[in-house]
Amino acid sequence: MRKTLLPPLIPLVVFTLLAEFLVREGFVRGYLVPAPSAVLRAMVSGRVELLHALLSTSAGSLAGFALSAVTGIAIAILLSSSRGVQRAFYPYAIFFQTVPLIAVAPLLVIWFGFGIETVIASAFVASVFPVIANTLSGILSTDLPLRDLFKLYGASPLVTLFKLRLPAALPQVFTGLRVSAGLAVVGAIVGEFIAGGGLGSVVEVARTQQRIDKVFAAVLLASLLGLGLFGLINLFSHLMLRRWHASEQAH
Amino acid sequence: MYRRTFLKTVPAFALLAACGKSAKTKLALNWKPEPEFGGFYAAPYSKHGLDVEILPGGTGTPTVQMVGAGSVDFGIVSADEVILARSHGNDVVALFAVFQDSPTGIMAHASRNLTSIGDVLKDGTIALESGLPFARLLERKYGFSHVKVVPSPGGDITSFLHDEKFAQQCFLTSEPIAARKQGASVKVFAVSEIGYDPYTTVLAISGDSLRKNPDRAKAMVAAVRDGWRAYLDDPKAANQQMNQLNPTMDLETFAEVADAQKPFIETDATRRNGLGTMSRERWETLIAQFKDLGDISQTIPADECFRML
Repeated sequence: MRKTLLPPLIPLVVFTLLAEFLVREGFVRGYLVPAPSAVLRAMVSGRVELLHALLSTSAGSLAGFALSAVTGIAIAILLSSSRGVQRAFYPYAIFFQTVPLIAVAPLLVIWFGFGIETVIASAFVASVFPVIANTLSGILSTDLPLRDLFKLYGASPLVTLFKLRLPAALPQVFTGLRVSAGLAVVGAIVGEFIAGGGLGSVVEVARTQQRIDKVFAAVLLASLLGLGLFGLINLFSHLMLRRWHASEQAH
Repeated sequence: MYRRTFLKTVPAFALLAACGKSAKTKLALNWKPEPEFGGFYAAPYSKHGLDVEILPGGTGTPTVQMVGAGSVDFGIVSADEVILARSHGNDVVALFAVFQDSPTGIMAHASRNLTSIGDVLKDGTIALESGLPFARLLERKYGFSHVKVVPSPGGDITSFLHDEKFAQQCFLTSEPIAARKQGASVKVFAVSEIGYDPYTTVLAISGDSLRKNPDRAKAMVAAVRDGWRAYLDDPKAANQQMNQLNPTMDLETFAEVADAQKPFIETDATRRNGLGTMSRERWETLIAQFKDLGDISQTIPADECFRML
């Protein structure tokens, strides 16, 4: 525990103290970058509002992320079924990676209304591609000797998929999920800019009121949410891979 | 021969570099080139000894912070932003107020037969920048319990066209014209109806820069005043120039908006005191409203907020 917590805490303390010093001594003006103490005060004084916003953004990000995980893996399995399917549909999967979310967000509102549905859709669009790409690459890179072994014993393609190829792809699936977790939070907040609610709204309102301390407080909570999701996936990854995969056995 | 050219070139380059650095005056807009900035594009800057570069903005361009931080020399802000900025220690001073009356309003569908702003808030959906003071004044006056408040789409009218019960915050001189063009029948209400009327499209400078270079500020204000006079008299040339920069708005709309905004820019006060004029009473009223809403705790002297040059 001490080994995992201490290293990230050192830069945190150093940067916080440095920022506080720079703002207090007037090297950086407080209306451009807030002092960490001001951010902390904004967090304490706005705790009820911020907590509600955090819960709402968490719900939107989690739902969008779960949707990404399920459909992303499903799409990757479909794409892996044949070269032809892959050639036909993979370019469209890339669409999700390149779509400028801000530009299509007003359309999401028309389709899904002003509410959490739009936030979830936005989180989904932002986070599905890494799951597809990583899962697909995992499924396609099964050990050849193992595949031959399955063939030798006359295993059906379905059995090979679920007993060999998918389990062997798990490390890559988790890599995709890790990337996608952070993107889901970003996507949810973009959705909230347009559809309202959550930390996105807090940022919007605080910005029009020139309350940069509150903007930073909300942004900080959003990153903590991303970090929490990331940790959750690491936990799952550890539970599922610890018995056989090198990446989880080294430590 | 060779050497001589070289010797001539070096000082020339040095001079060029020096010019490029010091002479260009930067003016940051808080939105795309549209008629609300017409006078800034029409202004005869060189006649007043200035070389001005206009930097168009977009949704949420933080011009008030840019001016305070010195990353631009002048910026377009609104009076309410100046007060908030000053309350946070950002020394920004207003020099010239283009819109004497706030063009902010609420637009709704005419089919709802609404007669006042209060009616708009009785049902349906309203898109507002809920952080803005007028939104909170509305909430205090009428309450938001019967209406669904959603974020402002910032000039986009897709949701409005889509939903008869949708109302949105707008620039009276902009979105309603666009909506009518799309065939909607629109009813608008000015926010000044509820007594909130800040100067908008205000030319601002940092206090520091104003003290260090008062002559440049003076020249800028004079040029801008000339520019707005010219634009009010004949907007054609400036519209064409802005249309090149912002082709999403067609020339016909440019002309319509330029015409619609005239009564906000030229008022009894400007006929008495010149375009862009500001009064201490108006600033005091606004500051009092902010204090009343609890947005600022300290008293901000109205005289520090603006300067007529």
